Amino acid sequence: MPYRLASATVVSIVLVVAAAISVARAQTPANTLPRTPDGKPDLSGIWQVMNTAAWDIQDHNAQKGVPAGLGVVVGNEIPYKAEALAKKRQNYENRATTDPEGKCFLPGVPRIMYMPHPFQIFQKPGQITMLFEYVHATRSIYTNGSQHPPGHIDWWMGDSRGRWEGDTLVVDVVHFNNETWFDRAGNFHSEQLHLVERFTPLDRDHITYEVTVEDPKVFTEVWRMSMILYRHREPNAQLLEYECYAFDNPFHPPVPSR
Amino acid sequence: MTRGFLVRGTVSVIAAAMVSSTAVRLAAQGPPPPPKAAPPPGWIDPRNPPKEDPNWQPPRTADGQPNIEGQWGQASDIITYSIEDPEAERAGHTAISGQRPMVGRPIIDPIDGKIPYQPWAAKFAEFLHEEHTKPSKLEYLDPVSRGFQEGVPRINYQGALQIQQFPGMLLITYDYHHSYRAIPLDGRPHVGKDIKLWMGDSRGHWEGNTLVVDVANNNEQTWLQIVGGFHSDAFHLVERWTPTAPDHIVYIATIDDSKVYSRPWKLRVDYRRQKVDEQWESAVWEGNRTADVVLGDTKK
Repeated sequence: MPYRLASATVVSIVLVVAAAISVARAQTPANTLPRTPDGKPDLSGIWQVMNTAAWDIQDHNAQKGVPAGLGVVVGNEIPYKAEALAKKRQNYENRATTDPEGKCFLPGVPRIMYMPHPFQIFQKPGQITMLFEYVHATRSIYTNGSQHPPGHIDWWMGDSRGRWEGDTLVVDVVHFNNETWFDRAGNFHSEQLHLVERFTPLDRDHITYEVTVEDPKVFTEVWRMSMILYRHREPNAQLLEYECYAFDNPFHPPVPSR
Repeated sequence: MTRGFLVRGTVSVIAAAMVSSTAVRLAAQGPPPPPKAAPPPGWIDPRNPPKEDPNWQPPRTADGQPNIEGQWGQASDIITYSIEDPEAERAGHTAISGQRPMVGRPIIDPIDGKIPYQPWAAKFAEFLHEEHTKPSKLEYLDPVSRGFQEGVPRINYQGALQIQQFPGMLLITYDYHHSYRAIPLDGRPHVGKDIKLWMGDSRGHWEGNTLVVDVANNNEQTWLQIVGGFHSDAFHLVERWTPTAPDHIVYIATIDDSKVYSRPWKLRVDYRRQKVDEQWESAVWEGNRTADVVLGDTKK
């Protein structure tokens, strides 16, 4: 099964993360977190990363128009298969014309989570809705015990099913197409992409966002990203619009490669 | 695993292309005789609605709002092709496609069901109507067919929607094109006048059982229907969403635009509760070829 995480490496990574989280929790009294009536941490609000993952999820130096940045990939290396690494390098060389972001397509997950635009979380016991300013993308994360629909389904944003593990929202995401990238540096995946996202509140204004990436067609093993989501505390904060495709009014709208 | 699921985005793109390509063929053939149009059983005529029970009271949310949460679909048989004269406009398309014509005429004021344009604007609306099957310029093609957002109120009669309520906030997510509106209920003012938005800036409050939403900061780029139906950036709406029975919402929008319309006008949509419980992806921009098809250029 492509969605099963089984290697010893993964187990050890998970143990380290769990230890790190419990340390963080010990330092932050859990009872100060805002909570919904059903007792779960209340993630409602407007959030945004403060990093440069949108340009490159790995360590990178500055270029004109590109801020330098420490990567969000844990350990910085992405375990590409040999032929996939060649494709990644090709993507990087041709990124000005082949990055799907340039065509204004839905950016997929996790890329939408670290675009340099705010997003808003609405939380109900059985459904968490995320609205994104960028191309008015949305995610519906069902936390009502439902399973992924049978597939494979080619969706840009995948199918998200969540559950709570203590104060951590854990989201399993499958049913992707192979059209989206991870960043503007050409990091990519196939339709076999499988994500496990973990949203752990650090305090009322910060969420640790971790995502485990599995794609046996492209990577030799699973790998992880980790970053912080920051709450917008401006009293008038609200989502506006970034209707990417409406700026250029192209005569020929871009066409997916399939 | 099987691949038995239809991807809605693909379907909507095909549908948009069909409407447009058949419209092109129509222009060449002349209109065929209109088929007899019949609304579906149980539809609610916006211009002749049933009486409401004035004593019915909606349930309340935990924070005391009238509870209108759920999945809703419009029951008024409205098609975005034309809200002014859908039967006549759709007849030709229906004859070719075999689709059932839709007959809902949502404009309840003025009584003739037409948008009350100022004289100059009526001429431009007529021009857009003539252009819509074979636009001479890209900007004379319906913005939604080009893959852009519908704007308000058009998104409200495009398809189904989900309402979720929170303390101080109401959220509407739409089936079509993953459009959404987050509507603050906390009395905050609109954003500054220089901000222009495809979906406008919504501010809501409850008056009894009616959700009143003021929609301002609209851009001038959305249309009300495929056959034209335009406005300026002075476009402004007051929406009234009133639950009138357990599974029924009455929506009435009062619309004004001092630059384009001669008077405020009103549009009604009725919603019935739907049994579906999930909205699935509706990717509209990705792979949209309508502009190519309509403008007759098939180069990639």
